[in-house]
Amino acid sequence: MAGMSGLAITLGASLVIAIVLFLLLSRDPRTTIFYFFAGPFTNKLSVGTMLNAAIPLIFTGLGISVAFKAAVFNIGGEGQIYAGAVATTAVCLALPHVPGVLGGLIAVVAGAAAGALLAGLSGLLKMKWDTDVLISTFLVSGAAILIINYIITGPLDDPESSLLATRKIAERFRLPFIFRPSKLDVSVFFALIAAVLIHLFLRYTHRGYELRMTGANPEFARYGGINVSMYLVMPLMLSGALHGAGGAFLVAGTHHMALKGFTSGMGWNGIAVALIAKNHPLAVVPAALFFAYLSTGADAAMLRSDVTYEIVAIIQASIFYLVTAQALYGFVRSRRRVPK
Amino acid sequence: MNLVHNAVGIMTPFLLAAIGGLFTQIAGMLNIALEGLMLIGAFVAVASTAATGSLFFGIAAGVSVSVIVAYLFGTVSLKLRANIFVSGLATNLLATGLTAVLSFRFFANKGVIRFPGIPRLPVLSAQALRRIPIAGDIFFGHHILVYVSWFLLAAAAVVIYRTPFGLRLRATGHQRSTIVSLGLKPERYQMQAILISGFTCGLAGSALTLNLSAYVPNITAGRGWIALVVIYLGNKTPLGILVASFVFGFAEALSNYAQGALEIPAEFILAFPYLITVTAMVIYSIWRRRRAA
Repeated sequence: MAGMSGLAITLGASLVIAIVLFLLLSRDPRTTIFYFFAGPFTNKLSVGTMLNAAIPLIFTGLGISVAFKAAVFNIGGEGQIYAGAVATTAVCLALPHVPGVLGGLIAVVAGAAAGALLAGLSGLLKMKWDTDVLISTFLVSGAAILIINYIITGPLDDPESSLLATRKIAERFRLPFIFRPSKLDVSVFFALIAAVLIHLFLRYTHRGYELRMTGANPEFARYGGINVSMYLVMPLMLSGALHGAGGAFLVAGTHHMALKGFTSGMGWNGIAVALIAKNHPLAVVPAALFFAYLSTGADAAMLRSDVTYEIVAIIQASIFYLVTAQALYGFVRSRRRVPK
Repeated sequence: MNLVHNAVGIMTPFLLAAIGGLFTQIAGMLNIALEGLMLIGAFVAVASTAATGSLFFGIAAGVSVSVIVAYLFGTVSLKLRANIFVSGLATNLLATGLTAVLSFRFFANKGVIRFPGIPRLPVLSAQALRRIPIAGDIFFGHHILVYVSWFLLAAAAVVIYRTPFGLRLRATGHQRSTIVSLGLKPERYQMQAILISGFTCGLAGSALTLNLSAYVPNITAGRGWIALVVIYLGNKTPLGILVASFVFGFAEALSNYAQGALEIPAEFILAFPYLITVTAMVIYSIWRRRRAA
């Protein structure tokens, strides 16, 4: 656990930055700081909202971890989660006579498949023609977001609602809430199961081992007889499927419909979550909770005091800077080595 | 041909940001911070123009703050050896947060802020010349930053291909070891490239808000990312990015027009340049593979 103390320093420093920002920007910094830190725990609604906000981040964080473990840079998460959400919605709206559990299952699989296809396309291009994955995942996702915007506001638009959103999915496809009055629903268990499964897959299966090997050193992996080109496509599809599932559960659990742009930012935050978790699937869960804590705290501070929600973006940015600054970790390590 | 005229106006922020991004790309860095640098520049430029009543000071302030943030981005990426992709994401987040927080602090408003009285960007009207078919649309009737972007593009071409600095910059991206073996510091050239991208993104942001005399939250709306795509579509050359930014500018102009007139949904037209770029990248990779074989 050599990285842990560095991480603790990073997260601690980011909270100090938060306090400094409140001292600078708020006319009543004590109230603001209180609600920012304690707000998420003051009532059942806030606790549930925080836990619920972590669910899509667990899925996107897992998706990014898998991709990064295989050293494929999937930065199309924004489009993949959005595609998953809209595919799930479309399937639920198109299945009128199917029982709830079966229909729900089909819908979630459709969501995961949509994400997997979107990401897998870039993997295929890389495998066949060596097209840069980082750029192509981004481009495919960029085009997909625009087309999904059209699908939500065009063919699937609910004419009776003034929202830029689809119709609501049928009651029987909705996952039960478990922590009223918040919108926390059973998909939290699916998120935890996904984290455990991905961990087991990467750690204890043959394919998981080959994936990690290919990511760590493709030349060595090729030399060892691993079909390297398969591990360009498969991790991307798995990554896309996890993003898609995140979107699917967001629809089935929380929103019950697809709204224009409602997954915006979740893909990028997934990268941050994976980064804090150092791509470890089990560590993704606390990292996602930490992110959800920050945003729920900022919400509470905005509601009860005089700062604006976007302050959380500055705090997140400082976490990003600190987490990725290798030289800082080097500094921490070298300091520790000196006494020995 | 109003479409072409509008396209030239719309492409200007893409082109300006892409010019700076070209420098960082040539120096071997994927600069995704273009978006954030542009956003900061956009906000500071219009707010400072309103505060000082002067376009010059407004743009100068926007560009300066954008360069300062670029310096922060460069320091974290190069001195602290951060993953440049992650620090780029961080810079974009920082820009979103900072513009909202500042807007809330100084204008008690984080929605659209209008500045109706501020000076407008001077326009080269040249009524007579505008009537020349096509060329009139392309060359005349634009605001000053359009012409600045063309000048900077030409300057960039000269700097990149005809100066020792440009040569070293290209070597940094192409074969880092050469620079090191000459006793030069590649990080120094990379930092200069990042600062240049801060400068042009500041101008790109200024062009967005000063043209509107208003600040709209997240006004860049992915334009920095498009600038990155422009660099790839333009095959990382100055002439290429000029053509590529026109493609994106034209698509956006067409989609504005399509909202009333055409049968095709505007989103499809906006998605089109992304698909062109993917296709262009695939064709390029096939060509590269054939040539290698």
